[in-house]
Amino acid sequence: MIVEYIQSALLLIAAFLVIVSAVGFISLSKDMKNVVYARIHIVGIFDIACVIAMIGLGQYLLAAIYFILAPFTAHAIANAFYKSEDVVNNVELNVVEDVDDSNPFIVPRSKVQELENENSEKLKADDRFTISTLDIIEEE
Amino acid sequence: MDILIISKYILIIAFVIMMIAALRASAYKGSSMGLLGSSVVVVAFAGALLVFGELYNLTFYRDISLALIFFGFVGTVAFSIVAGGDK
Repeated sequence: MIVEYIQSALLLIAAFLVIVSAVGFISLSKDMKNVVYARIHIVGIFDIACVIAMIGLGQYLLAAIYFILAPFTAHAIANAFYKSEDVVNNVELNVVEDVDDSNPFIVPRSKVQELENENSEKLKADDRFTISTLDIIEEE
Repeated sequence: MDILIISKYILIIAFVIMMIAALRASAYKGSSMGLLGSSVVVVAFAGALLVFGELYNLTFYRDISLALIFFGFVGTVAFSIVAGGDK
């Protein structure tokens, strides 16, 4: 009888933690800084809730395996995010071009792209056509 | 009704809520969020399967949930290595 009460208490604690982590997982703002790491942290709560539920169900080996594996998963996801998508914290992804202003032949790539965009807006198709036809007038 | 059975049903409902939340979160921007959401869905399904197996005396439920947890972990780590590069 006491064992059943302990089991049901563990399951209820696990259910409470799972619901709290689900609400937190969804309700975090997208504009928050480092929101992916915060979500990984919340998933850690869910992992421990799963371990508590497995202990409450009597699956001790499964609980031990998942207790060992869960931090590796969280670390792998955080590492992948840092190396590939984290523009805020990773310096390698947020490279600022160091340009020497004294050299006129070296122009930063962003400046060239801005110039290309401006030219493409100014040069419309009709303007290009009129200029090209002016070149082949025979009267001149 | 026994309190143990009631708490098992409450836990199943909590797992289902978590699965829905993780499915929603996996649609957020970035492949890392998709990875995180899908791994949470797999683990929540494995946990719900454990409770279902206890309630309805399913066969092999423990093995299936062990396989889900283990291979979910392997897939998550493998995709993380591919996404993050192996420098």
